[in-house]
Amino acid sequence: MIKLSCPSCGAEVEFRSKASVFSVCSFCHSTLVRHDMNLEQLGQMSELQDDLTPLQIGTKGVFDGKPFELIGRLKVGYEDGTWNEWYALSGDKEGWLAEAQGFYAFCYPVAGVQAPDINRMVPRAPVYIDQVGQMQVEDARNVHCLFSEGELPFNAVLGRKSFSVDLTGSNLAMATVEYAADETRIFAGRYQDFDDFQFQNLREIDGW
Amino acid sequence: MAGSSEGSSAKKAKPLARSFACPACGGTVTIRYPGAALSCVCEFCQTVIDATDTNYRVIEKYFSKTKHFEPFVPLGTRGKLKGKDWEMVGYMVRADDVSGYFWDEYLLFNPYYGYRWLTCNGDHWSFVTTIKQKPQARTHSQSTSWYKVKMELEGRDFKLFYRGRAKVLFVLGEFYWKVKADSLVNMEDYICPPYMLSSESDGKEIVWSISEYLEVDDVAAAFKPAKKLKKPSKVAPNQPSSAAVSWQYMSKLWLASFVILTLLQVWQLGYNNNKQVLESSPVYTANAKNAPTYTTAVFNIERDKTGALLEFSTSVDNSWLYVSGEMVNDDTGETFPFAQTIEYYHGYDGGESWSEGGTSNNVFLSAVPKGKYYLNIDTESGDFKDTNPHVLNVIVKQSPPLYGNYFWCLFLLSLLPGISAWSNTCFESSRWFESDYNPYASTG
Repeated sequence: MIKLSCPSCGAEVEFRSKASVFSVCSFCHSTLVRHDMNLEQLGQMSELQDDLTPLQIGTKGVFDGKPFELIGRLKVGYEDGTWNEWYALSGDKEGWLAEAQGFYAFCYPVAGVQAPDINRMVPRAPVYIDQVGQMQVEDARNVHCLFSEGELPFNAVLGRKSFSVDLTGSNLAMATVEYAADETRIFAGRYQDFDDFQFQNLREIDGW
Repeated sequence: MAGSSEGSSAKKAKPLARSFACPACGGTVTIRYPGAALSCVCEFCQTVIDATDTNYRVIEKYFSKTKHFEPFVPLGTRGKLKGKDWEMVGYMVRADDVSGYFWDEYLLFNPYYGYRWLTCNGDHWSFVTTIKQKPQARTHSQSTSWYKVKMELEGRDFKLFYRGRAKVLFVLGEFYWKVKADSLVNMEDYICPPYMLSSESDGKEIVWSISEYLEVDDVAAAFKPAKKLKKPSKVAPNQPSSAAVSWQYMSKLWLASFVILTLLQVWQLGYNNNKQVLESSPVYTANAKNAPTYTTAVFNIERDKTGALLEFSTSVDNSWLYVSGEMVNDDTGETFPFAQTIEYYHGYDGGESWSEGGTSNNVFLSAVPKGKYYLNIDTESGDFKDTNPHVLNVIVKQSPPLYGNYFWCLFLLSLLPGISAWSNTCFESSRWFESDYNPYASTG
């Protein structure tokens, strides 16, 4: 774990994942980018309205028998809605918990694999990805960053744009390919029922 | 409850609901779950409003002109279904584009588990969950028969029941997508009671969902409507059938007992050796006055409590011979009486020859103790003019193979399964009655 001070307010900023290069100060909401041991302030993260999620930073869960903890979040918006991508630390491995309309999927980054041609990524198209297998495109959307908090492995500044493709395979397998300006990332994992994650430290929701 | 938060860092929950003035009529619109809802409907003028930003843009005005429908309980009512609490946040009436047949759909929400649907179709209720799995088509490529169209999901086979286009007639509440009035979706329903697998596609995306049949009483217990819910009068596509359940058990039970009974019969046929223990050919004179009783030689029945078959044959011709007497145990004197008529008639009438009866007949004696036996035989002839001597052939067989018991048992055993199969067919044909893909319909 790396502990640094917020250049704006001096509060302690933790980086629990070695891969994290971005953080939002939990006190002054400054967006910070890490250059090795130095923090640079990029701007401010505005407060999020209407944020209905049962998860929060610090929520713990289990996937494939391995415990994980949520340490960062990226909330993205597209033309017809929003979803959350929670950055998770499972031991010293990084993973992501995708959350949308009550569906939850846990996935890991897939390294060293060529991403499929972006032009082939249209809904219902069959796509084969090395190390992932045969998948089908579920949806393909232009998304932008609405909000981020905690630590993240890339510069999740407000408005960050990418083209996000969700794919599904057999036995609840899922994959996401994210085409951003600077890089293309592939994630593969599986959908799982809420109860099977055995979540702890969930957010309180008024009336529930 | 999943909502309970451990950890001291838990922030106090903020109230969720938000209200604003309807951009169309000025009435107060409340969004119960902002952040989850993408569109909401003004309850006063049915205008659909964009819930994603505070400009509250009008998405759709069309519904304000349409007929008014009422949800069966007010939106916001919570109920427990399938072990979890659900809040009713949306209500939609949809109709088949061609027939105009409509049904109710209630959107249920739980912030932890997401969305479900409660549908009411012809007073039948179902609990609907959107799924991420993709069912596998099981269409026989050689066959063009539509009722062969099947989908397989998690080991279950679903049969095509409905294919059509649905349009939205009426909306109320809030929804996780932007509700449009003019959008038609292609729908397909496949059934495997109590489940139904449905697909909805708008040309871009296909969404699959699985419906599970709910009893009216369970829906009433969960949401406690002020007005009593109507009992359905027809059979629903995914309604579980007690006839199917009993037929399922009954058919297995029948098959098992058929196999056991047949094995017993095969064993019985092998065990009963059908051994001939006596052959005798006494001569009798038909219509002889004071004809003596004929007594056969003594023969041995070797098995205890076995059957004995007495076979009589003679040359009757358009006449009858009545054979009577008893089988007597030579040691104990126990008697087994018997009587049988051999009759044979034949002729040629109106260009057709006919015959009736035969020149032989037999008697079966059951549970005969082992021992030495002989037969006493008397005869009486129907040909009163005949005074010639005739030969009566008598054969006794011990332990003849038995068939009657087997077939009687089989018949009785098949009665209930037969009724069960019939009532199952009746139920299934009424289930499929309104389907275009009815396998019970006679094909023209």
